[in-house]
Amino acid sequence: MTALLFNGVAVDDTFAEAFPMKATRLVVTAHDIAWARHAAVSATGLATSVIACGCEAGIERELDAGETPDGRPGIAILLFAMSGKELVKQIERRVGQCVMTCPTTAVFAGLPPDAGEAAALGRNLRFFGDGWQISKVLQGVRYWRVPVMDGEFVAQESTPVVKGVGGGNLLLLADDTDAALAGATAAVAAMRRVRGAILPFPGGVVRSGSKVGSKYAGLIASTNDAFCPSLAALAPRSELGEGARCVLEIVIDGLGEAEVAGAMRAGIKAIVERGAQAGVRRISAGNYGGKLGPFHFHLRALAPAAGGAA
Amino acid sequence: MSWRLVLRQAPALRVDGRLLSPAHLHALAADDVRRVALASGRDRIALGEWFDVLPGDADVLRIDGDLSRFDAVGAGLHAGTLHVQGDVGDAAGMGMTGGRLTIAGSARDLAGCAMCGGWLEITGDAGDLAASALPGDIDGMAGGTLVVRGRVGARLADRMRRGTVVVHGDAGDFAASRMVAGTLAIGGGCGAMPGWGMRRGSVVLAGAAPQATSTFVDVRSDAGVFWQLLARDLARFGPPFDDLPRRRMTRFAGDLAVQGKGELLVAR
Repeated sequence: MTALLFNGVAVDDTFAEAFPMKATRLVVTAHDIAWARHAAVSATGLATSVIACGCEAGIERELDAGETPDGRPGIAILLFAMSGKELVKQIERRVGQCVMTCPTTAVFAGLPPDAGEAAALGRNLRFFGDGWQISKVLQGVRYWRVPVMDGEFVAQESTPVVKGVGGGNLLLLADDTDAALAGATAAVAAMRRVRGAILPFPGGVVRSGSKVGSKYAGLIASTNDAFCPSLAALAPRSELGEGARCVLEIVIDGLGEAEVAGAMRAGIKAIVERGAQAGVRRISAGNYGGKLGPFHFHLRALAPAAGGAA
Repeated sequence: MSWRLVLRQAPALRVDGRLLSPAHLHALAADDVRRVALASGRDRIALGEWFDVLPGDADVLRIDGDLSRFDAVGAGLHAGTLHVQGDVGDAAGMGMTGGRLTIAGSARDLAGCAMCGGWLEITGDAGDLAASALPGDIDGMAGGTLVVRGRVGARLADRMRRGTVVVHGDAGDFAASRMVAGTLAIGGGCGAMPGWGMRRGSVVLAGAAPQATSTFVDVRSDAGVFWQLLARDLARFGPPFDDLPRRRMTRFAGDLAVQGKGELLVAR
């Protein structure tokens, strides 16, 4: 595979292959940002991959009091699932168990009402009120008020579901663990500033990148042997040279192609600016030959303008 | 074609003005507009007997003059804009489903009764039973927005079940009586027994409020989130509601004599 050098960092001539997903944005507010964060972290927990979590979710950003419907500090979270039906289930489960339970919180839709088909947000959770719940329609939007032990849990009736993009990715090939972690941390910090995108894995980084399928029947994914340094001399399809001893992946889900591309661009830029001397010497991406996912994010198109042949 | 109607003289008897609607008149030529027959007592009298018919502004039917003897002006309005420069009689905007009716004057009783959509704004006062039900009917206002810049009479929003009513001035006794749902905000003083028999819904008292009756209970828990949502929504109506998000409120739940899921929100 050919690569171009950017500040000494090789960028492979390849692309990340991404898939359509169903997505929504929720705004969780609370008495102060700490409690909003508790709820948001909890609601987006165990949501790293649709392979086994049902959805992929993460914190998009913190919101000032002036940005939220109730004038309190809040957190915007994004949730992605492979189908609208699964997303509806995940919203109800996560908001019901992680937001409604958290002291002082309220939850609102974070997308315009006409952005997509409405999925239940407070519509079914209201029944927790056991008949004491009441609703209010304000400018065409219905809110539910459920009595709870600290007062009321207020939830917007529904949240729009839009078509999102999941599975954008970057593979960072580094000299060693320290260099890989430092590079990934810098890239994640830059990528998290892009609105409309999340990095669903712990710290935004995944070390157990996967390929589709397995030698074992029933497993839908297994280790990405092509990028495992321990298999560089063993696996016939290894993509690694002698230098790479640690590979980390950053997975991106976004509300659209532009958001995923923006996050990938920010990540590549962060790595390139650090230069090859920082230890991340190559950037690649995972794909399935372009046959499975309709969204192809070519690394060369996202890399900084100047480069030289490797 | 848009028209402007200018009243030459007040009719001797009351007139049913429900045909004075933009959707109806804009489709007619000037001569046909003058021939529109309005019910007056036992007779039907051509509109041209009372009004001069002039070209008007786009999409607005404007009527100038004292229409206090014209009832049901804007009744059944479903689209377009009707502006009345003067007072109107009973049942203005009755059964509106859409569109916009503005009255630069006062309205008599039953303004906005059985309304279920659209925007009705009265810059002057309104009489009794505004936003209420038609006499004998079960449901009152079921949607839309009624704004009264002046005062209103008794039984405001009687049997109201949906929509928003905003009164900038004082309201008479028994406001929100038998209310089923919806939002009522009163900026001035409120008469006796607000929320009598209300089952659900919200009544915001931003001005002088009477003491809550014994069938309402003081709710001491925090409802700040909902209050901010509601107060911010009402703030768009301007003074005296614009500072509601910065004011605290006391919430009384009731009427316990019925379902008891309504609330009086008294701004402090």
